Amino acid sequence: MIDIVGIIAEDFLNILLITLGGMLIALGVHLVPVGGAPAAMAQATGVGTGTVQLAAGAGLTGLVTAGFMMNVTESMALIIASGTIGAMIMISVTMIVGQWMYVYGVGCPPASAKVKYDPITKDRQDLYVSQGTEGHGIPTASFISGVIGAGLGGLGGSLIYYSLLSIENGLPEANFIGIASIFAIGLFFVNAVIPSYNIGGTIEGFHDPKFKKFPKAVLASFVATFLAAIMGVVAIGGM
Amino acid sequence: MEPLTGMGVMALIGAAATIAGASEDLESDVGSQSNPNSQVQLAPQMMYPHRIFNKAISGEPPSNALICAIGGTIASVLISSGASAVLALTIGAILAATVHGTYSVTSYLGRSASQKRFKQPIYLDIVRSHVPVMMGYAFITTFCILVVAYLMTTVLEHPFSLPLLAFIWGITVGAIGSSTGDVHYGAEREFQNVEFGSGLNAANSGNIVRKAESGLRNGIDNSWFCAKFGGPATGIAFGMTVFLSGWITVVFDASQSDALGWASIIAGAIIVLLLIIWNRNIEVAARNAYGPYKQDEEAEVAA
Repeated sequence: MIDIVGIIAEDFLNILLITLGGMLIALGVHLVPVGGAPAAMAQATGVGTGTVQLAAGAGLTGLVTAGFMMNVTESMALIIASGTIGAMIMISVTMIVGQWMYVYGVGCPPASAKVKYDPITKDRQDLYVSQGTEGHGIPTASFISGVIGAGLGGLGGSLIYYSLLSIENGLPEANFIGIASIFAIGLFFVNAVIPSYNIGGTIEGFHDPKFKKFPKAVLASFVATFLAAIMGVVAIGGM
Repeated sequence: MEPLTGMGVMALIGAAATIAGASEDLESDVGSQSNPNSQVQLAPQMMYPHRIFNKAISGEPPSNALICAIGGTIASVLISSGASAVLALTIGAILAATVHGTYSVTSYLGRSASQKRFKQPIYLDIVRSHVPVMMGYAFITTFCILVVAYLMTTVLEHPFSLPLLAFIWGITVGAIGSSTGDVHYGAEREFQNVEFGSGLNAANSGNIVRKAESGLRNGIDNSWFCAKFGGPATGIAFGMTVFLSGWITVVFDASQSDALGWASIIAGAIIVLLLIIWNRNIEVAARNAYGPYKQDEEAEVAA
């Protein structure tokens, strides 16, 4: 019989860290500029793919680099920083190559339809939006917002992974890493899906009015991740 | 590990990832997967029946994650039973491509059949000619990703297992392919009937180009066009992601000291900063080259 209460009491700090990681991912997803299907046709500002897919792609790249780092060092700060940087590299590369497509392949300058002036560069935006579209490309504000968002996602993902690997159990190391990484990926998807309801297909970044709705998603993420963390900790700790 | 060996392996991983990215995007152009397929799906409903392959099994990341995880699991089982790595990875990739082909056929037949009321025909010759091409591309993508995952687990001693790394890189290659190369297909190739750079008015939705350079346009015509820019650029993006995220940890080896680990973080931050500056340069150049779409009405009123 597994001592459920004992495991939860012993690993309560890990449960809290996992929950914090999940909330960071939910916040980070709001910052990633995704335009969904319209952006793939250069009809909306942002990267032309879905919210969950891009956030997961970036966050999981962060998880791979965090896994690398965890293999060679025990410093928690270094592991988490490594996950953050891995995700930031993935999203920056994706956004810059996406920008090549919009500028050289489609012939549209990057422009936001949600604000008149770019909040960072102060460039005029509305004149550069082509007729019948909601903007196109990735203006500087969206780019920087995406880098921060992916960084938060990678940070949250690696925090979850690190916390899961801190749970004491009797599993062989390879199996333990396997189950912890699968669980971290699962929690990543949960927390990437929750903000999608706020985003509703497209968001340009922190300057988008939809960004203001993030507290609701972070609260929902708190509830979902907390419950999932208890189950995960009991499942892994009881093995 | 010797730094030189590490760099050599990273170069090999980067090259394999570049090929995987390019073939992933071209596969999605032949079969019309992911977001641009919304227009191919919409066209018959707007009374524009066409001869373009219509699949979109799912979003590109889950679809590629599926085939890479299948390939990775089979390869892993074969390696553990004593098969050579090359054989195991090849058989894994072949079976993954077969699964992909199955989904492609059912997806095309199902999607086209559901549009009977819009008089969209099902072309059996399109199934015969396109599915082997898609399976070929899916094989190349899976094989290259399995090579990346295999080298990471064996030479670079990554703690994740081969199928898990293949799954993660499958998600990432799909995310990158659908964010970069697909824009070339969706925003340019599908709408070559509007002036270059004019933007795509939402009112044109569904009015995709249906005539090819010769005859009626199909998915293979689309991959011919996208192979000139969208495909290779996707390859560069995925190759850069895999290479740069690994390179910083190989050059600045954190196993020697934590200080070197922090150096790798700083190196990564510098790379991100350079990309932000590069993006800004492209933005300014594009604004100057193309100019605004409309006059500034406020300035005119003030004058």
